[in-house]
Amino acid sequence: MQKEIKQTWHFNQSPKEVWEYLTKPELIEQWLMKNDFKPVVGHKFCFTHAGKNKCNYDNTTYCEVLEVKPFTKLSYSWNGSTEDKSRNFNSTVVWTLAPKNNGTELQIQHNGFTVLEDVLNHTTGWDNCLQKFAEHINS
Amino acid sequence: MQTQTLDVFQVIADPSRRQMMQMLSKDSMTINSLAENFDMSRPAVSKHIKIMYNAGFISIKDIGRERHCTLKQDGFNELQEFIDYFDKFWASKLKKLETLLNNKSKK
Repeated sequence: MQKEIKQTWHFNQSPKEVWEYLTKPELIEQWLMKNDFKPVVGHKFCFTHAGKNKCNYDNTTYCEVLEVKPFTKLSYSWNGSTEDKSRNFNSTVVWTLAPKNNGTELQIQHNGFTVLEDVLNHTTGWDNCLQKFAEHINS
Repeated sequence: MQTQTLDVFQVIADPSRRQMMQMLSKDSMTINSLAENFDMSRPAVSKHIKIMYNAGFISIKDIGRERHCTLKQDGFNELQEFIDYFDKFWASKLKKLETLLNNKSKK
């Protein structure tokens, strides 16, 4: 079973250029979704999806900026629910940028769902994870 | 007893239920032997069992007078579906970003 959502991508552009696409609302919209993002810790914003998706999630994802380190790291909470509001999910998206081979290595980690994994792993507890999650939120 | 149907996330949100699943991950157990490990009434334990059963996390088999609980894959599959969904979601979005950036540098 897959343990986490983690992807690494390489782009030929500089971290500064990639960063713009992660932090400017009009640029984010071009590849992700409509949003009212601002690169300010504590800023609450939404992503709005167009149309339906397979898992029937609600069309709005509620987020709060958790960390902003220009050209290096960006994270926000990623919370939403299903259309019928029967199920909510909380998670955290973390972007990491590093210069590599005259370009940028961009990594995304979408965590918080990993609390689910702990039930299967039996190593660390759910409470540990929630605590970590809370630390992220509070930091 | 009224049966409660909770979704997979609500099911694993409860610490007692998570503990029960952890114990069941090692071996199947009877409801009685599970109950011995918890400081709660037998009906309360049964209620948790029922919730996990309804969400597809465990199966229950009657052997003699005992009810045996075994972990079941179904509940976990739904969690996996969630992870798969977002993994694909980001892959497609980042592909789009890659295309955007490449088109930009050609200009």
